[in-house]
Parts: sequence; C-alpha cells; structure tokens
Amino acid sequence: MPTESLTNEVRLLRFLAQDMTQAELGRRVGLTRQTIAAIEQCRYSPSLEVAFQIADVFGKRLDEVFHWNPAGVETAKRVSTP
Amino acid sequence: MSSLEKRAWLTLWSQCPPYLVYFLIQAVWPNWLTTFQQRIACLAVVAGVHAIAYVAGLLWMKRRERGEPLLLDERDRAIDARATRTAYFVMLTGMIVVGVVMPFSDSGWKLTNTALFAIVLAETVRYALIVAGYRGTPRLAH
Repeated sequence: MPTESLTNEVRLLRFLAQDMTQAELGRRVGLTRQTIAAIEQCRYSPSLEVAFQIADVFGKRLDEVFHWNPAGVETAKRVSTP
Repeated sequence: MSSLEKRAWLTLWSQCPPYLVYFLIQAVWPNWLTTFQQRIACLAVVAGVHAIAYVAGLLWMKRRERGEPLLLDERDRAIDARATRTAYFVMLTGMIVVGVVMPFSDSGWKLTNTALFAIVLAETVRYALIVAGYRGTPRLAH
C-alpha cells in the first residue's frame, strides 16, 4: 500500500541553533512543548502557518525544514520504468 | 503530558467508576431500588461522587501547575475536535434510541437510565479518544 509522509529537520535545526529547547521553540511559534515533540517524531503534521513560523525561527525556507515524501508515487515510477 | 490529556484522564477516572457501579446495579438488580426517592438518591450519590472526585482532581492539578493558564494549541484543538466529532455520533445514536425507539416499548426509569447511559458513554468515548490521540495513533494532521 503506498504511504506518504511528512518528515522534518526540526530536531537538527534546534541542535544547530545552540540546542534550543522544545519549550523555547514552542513559545516562539505558539505551541506547547508536547506538540513540538510530536512534530519532531512525525506524529503530528502542523498547519501551514505554523510550519512557516517554525522555518522562520530558524531562518530557513519551508522546504528546507519540512519534506514531503510521496513514497507511493516514487514506487509507482520505479515499477513503470523499464 | 499536556493539560488537556491530564484533564481527559481525570474525567475518565472520576466518571467511569461511579457510573459503572450505578449501571451495574440497574442492570443486575433492577428492582433493588423501588421508590422514586430511593432511585433519585442513588443517582444523586453517584453524580456527587463524580463531581467531588473531579473537582478534587482539578484542584490538585491546578496546585501542581502553579496557576499556569491552560494553554491549548492547534494539535490539542485538532485532537479535541476529532474526539468530539465521534462522541457526537455516539450521543446522537443514544438519543435516537431513547427518544424515537424506546417510547413505544418502555417508560419511566428505563428511559432515564438509557439516556444517562448514552450521555456517559459519549463522554467516555470523547475523553478516551482524546487520550488515544495523544498516544500517537493514528497519525494526526492539522
């Protein structure tokens, strides 16, 4: 069954930003620490607005922080390619 | 653990035991309580135990949170909305049974208890789904 997923670099970017805490990032984008943890573990996909806000905190573009992996599409392409 | 999850656990633990005892008594010994006063007193005791347990738990939680305001973000609201949507249909089904089907065959306390059961069940489903939402399955998207 094709599965698609939204992954992110939030944990890495927090580490690079002088090990910013989840609570601090949450405070800056208006989320709880638990929600930041859920985003990092890919258990929750944030709204577009929050995704932009998180990228803005780290001074990155949205696509540098969040990646969508269309696994099903890639699998289909690989199968159809001779 | 987020504030909403704590409150969901508190509601489940304060609500389920007393009402489980009440509905077990009603189901196993339906004629144990005979007069209206006895039945209403039993219901009042159960509701009272629920209220006291909930308020006591809430006060204990407030003390531990040291007066911090209840902060809910978009994930909390999404989990709550999904749980409430499902619980609404449980309640709707219960009300159809109580208000549309049962009046043709039953009356009195049986109707009252079934309506109460539907309300308690809907609440239990709602808070159980909130807890499940925080436990991570299934994956939630805004």
